[in-house]
Amino acid sequence: MKKLLVILMVTLAILSMAKVKIQFWHAMGGWRIDLLKSMANEFMKLHPDIEVDVQYTGSYHDTLNKLIAAVKAGNPPDVVQIYDIGTQVMIDGGIAVPIQDLIDKDKSFDIGNFLDQVLNYYRVNGKLYSMPFNSSNPILYYNKTLFKKAGLDPNHPPRTFKELLEYAKKLTIKDKDGNIVQAGITWPLHSWFFEQFMAVQNAPLVDNNNGRTGRPTKAVFDNEAGRRFFRLWYELSKNGWMINTKREDWTGARQLFGSQKVAMLISSTSDVALMMKLAKENGFELGTAFLPRPEGAKRGGVAIGGGSLWIIAGHPKEETEAAWEFVKFMASPEQQIKWHEGTGYFPIRKDAVEMLMNQGYYAKYPHHLTALLQLLLSEQTYNTRGAIIGAFPEVRQIVETAVEKMLNGEMTPDDALAWAQAQATKAIQDYNELYAH
Amino acid sequence: MIPYVLLVPTFAIIVIFIYWPAVYSFKMSFYRISPFGNRMIYTGLRNFGRLFQSSEYIHSIKVTAIYVGFSVLLTVFTAFFIALLLNLKVPGTPVYKALIFIPYAISPAISGTLWTFLLNPVVGHVNYFLSKTFGISVDWLTSKPYALYALILASVWKVVPFDTIFYLAGIQDVPDDLLEAATLDGASSWTKTWRIVFPLLSPITFYLVIMNIISFMFSSFAIIDVMTSGGPGDYTTTMIYRLYLDAFSFQKTGIASAESVILFGIMAVVTFVYFYFGERKVHYQ
Amino acid sequence: MKKSTRKLINTIVAEVILITIALIVSLPLFLAVSISFQSPEEVFSYPPKILPKGLYLKNYVDAFNLVPLARLILNSTIMAIAITAGKLTTGLLSGYAYANFRFKGREVSFALLFATLFLPAETVMIVPLFLIMKKFGWINTYWALTIPFMASATNTFLFRQHFRSIPKELEDAARIDGATPMQYFSKILLPLSKAMIGGAAIINFVYAWNMYLWPLIVTMEDKMKTVQIGVRMLISSESANNWGVIMAGTIVVLIPTVAVFLLLQNLFVRSLVRSGMKG
Repeated sequence: MKKLLVILMVTLAILSMAKVKIQFWHAMGGWRIDLLKSMANEFMKLHPDIEVDVQYTGSYHDTLNKLIAAVKAGNPPDVVQIYDIGTQVMIDGGIAVPIQDLIDKDKSFDIGNFLDQVLNYYRVNGKLYSMPFNSSNPILYYNKTLFKKAGLDPNHPPRTFKELLEYAKKLTIKDKDGNIVQAGITWPLHSWFFEQFMAVQNAPLVDNNNGRTGRPTKAVFDNEAGRRFFRLWYELSKNGWMINTKREDWTGARQLFGSQKVAMLISSTSDVALMMKLAKENGFELGTAFLPRPEGAKRGGVAIGGGSLWIIAGHPKEETEAAWEFVKFMASPEQQIKWHEGTGYFPIRKDAVEMLMNQGYYAKYPHHLTALLQLLLSEQTYNTRGAIIGAFPEVRQIVETAVEKMLNGEMTPDDALAWAQAQATKAIQDYNELYAH
Repeated sequence: MIPYVLLVPTFAIIVIFIYWPAVYSFKMSFYRISPFGNRMIYTGLRNFGRLFQSSEYIHSIKVTAIYVGFSVLLTVFTAFFIALLLNLKVPGTPVYKALIFIPYAISPAISGTLWTFLLNPVVGHVNYFLSKTFGISVDWLTSKPYALYALILASVWKVVPFDTIFYLAGIQDVPDDLLEAATLDGASSWTKTWRIVFPLLSPITFYLVIMNIISFMFSSFAIIDVMTSGGPGDYTTTMIYRLYLDAFSFQKTGIASAESVILFGIMAVVTFVYFYFGERKVHYQ
Repeated sequence: MKKSTRKLINTIVAEVILITIALIVSLPLFLAVSISFQSPEEVFSYPPKILPKGLYLKNYVDAFNLVPLARLILNSTIMAIAITAGKLTTGLLSGYAYANFRFKGREVSFALLFATLFLPAETVMIVPLFLIMKKFGWINTYWALTIPFMASATNTFLFRQHFRSIPKELEDAARIDGATPMQYFSKILLPLSKAMIGGAAIINFVYAWNMYLWPLIVTMEDKMKTVQIGVRMLISSESANNWGVIMAGTIVVLIPTVAVFLLLQNLFVRSLVRSGMKG
């Protein structure tokens, strides 16, 4: 009896020792924290020998900065979700195990099932460094109920910049003192929308084919396409047809739209699930549409936004293997569908999309279809593949500063854009200096 | 032997955590360092050149000067005025004192939070009051130049008690008949106060100005971070906020080190002024 | 006008001005308390309410759920107490050294110490100090939050001043009775300095409790953050604009320092003034 107990204890001890513990950092706030935890729990059920410690580490920007600090301090996580624009700085840091290397070794995994648009974004110089995970693009959400009240056709959302201005004007209501009771539109004060509207017009942000054929040396967005968008933003705001949020305030923009203070919202497709819920709670009918384009502009597309999963090097072999299992799991069709349904990030793989189509999912949830179609119908050019810039986080901040300078009347739209381009070029050159040889 | 042993703990800490970092930042200011720290190139003085050519950095110096200058002036005069009143020891003074001193114990971050709420255009009481009485409605934190006014307001509110405490202590040493004459003699009393009492307290004023400069240059970081995050645009980005952004948001360790060195330089000047004028011209009681 | 009448008028004028100032200064705090007890509907009602309808305590519960406030309070308490203890210890020892001993290097070392008054480590020094913390492997630990701040010029000055004010005869008498310098320090000086130590303790505690920039950058995980960062987290959390909750969290965070301050105001004021005056 006693012997049995000893054996049992030893076995337990070995088992618990054999359990590989990995850390996973992510930047998905709000209701998505629990969703990711439940996905990790499902993974642990399938892999009882692996324990995943899931941690929410703040915004994308914060997560990258925390990773940098952790790498320098010598205790980085095993898996970390990094935003799209952090790709180059991650590659330059040389701290990750390229996913491509793991794929090449693992015959069970077929990257061919992934959407081309997604792979095109995350492949740099033909190599995949991280596992695509959450991808989205911006769409136009609109309040059909308020459209009807304003005498607009709820089935004809604005398609061009000109229409957008007209609609926003008609949807704005001011009281007798000139205070805004209801505004036409909002979107978060975020550079991402600038980047996306450049892609919509098939225009590049930086040289060397948007950084896809070599390290970019300068910003090139001070052009007709950039000016059109800056002027649109200015025009909408100046007239009170648009409410601007604080910098990168996604929540604020969502609340404005959810509470029907504004009639239209441009935001990420990752909000689809939340928007459907908000529309139901607040009793209005939700519409979604592609991003409007300037009239007569060449048709481009939208670039992928979102994040991917990186496996950080320097951990014991078992941990890296466990991390690879976890990353594969998160990119599997079942998990991608679950993630898609819970958020609105579209599935990153063709087989998942097919499964959903066969189930009649998109007939039931047309808003999810808007998001997917907009991406699938995008022209595939260097400009819609998204820019690769080492100093991208700083360039983003520069664009946002420029927008604020424009909105508070310090600069005209054209001057603000030119200023942003000059500053961005400086940031890019500073960054490149480090990699000159 | 004993005094040296007694000094070991203090000097161990200030050498390791103040002097070593200071020297270290001089060294780092000559390098450019990649975000993950895996590349480091020697650039000599080019980081400094870059900073002084950068319109953003020059702007941050200007904003710092304006913000610190106005805050110090407002704080010192308000505090002096309040101290004079408290010194009259009218009935109820202990209660007024307690209420007026409270912000001293409140952190800059919380000061920023309270004022962010009060100045909120939708739910804040200040804006309600202003629009009812004067018919003005202002986006305090997101528009120019109001964002700077808002910061100064929150900063002065927080620091006035500190100065008042010192003035009040200092006034105790001013001869009573002088004070009496100054504060109770009707119309001409204020001129007398400024001419007689204020100069008598110049050592305290000098000390407070120096302390306030340090406080507004550095501790105000929390107020700015909470209230405006340096915005709108980079309008309220002061030197310390710029340093924080460059170091911890954009991971430009080399440039940020150069910014530290510039701040040391400014503090060296302040220290020099303090010793030079403080020791010679001003006498402490 | 008779002098007494004039005095009366002046007193009334002073009363009115003082009441106004006291009200304006304490208004933000008063409104914060009020808002913390208001439901979202009340907070967003127009015109803004001065007093809450009832005590809407859910705000406080929400504040503790939205950010790990209990844990943050623990962290801040540990940090503030450790820094306070450290600063008092180093300050008492070094203050004693400067007040009661003559030794080589006294002036030079004092100048070195004095200069640190102008180099606030928790702000100007963040970049190099952060790099040094990395070398020590202290990022995201209590060490980084406490050790670098355990000595300061202010505390040394304060105790040096105080020890100097104690009659020299006492030291001589002790020596004649055969007490060693350390015995004199621990048996006589320290007991005589209780009030001063108390006052300095409050100043140090308030300082540490209110630190912001350093904890912001040197802690990575939420469970290592401090209350001041917690306030920032409340403002930028998903339910931002929920001012009732933000104010509830704010009140919780400011209560310790404000309470200590109000209770021990006189002690505090005396020590603060002493710390600033050079002798």
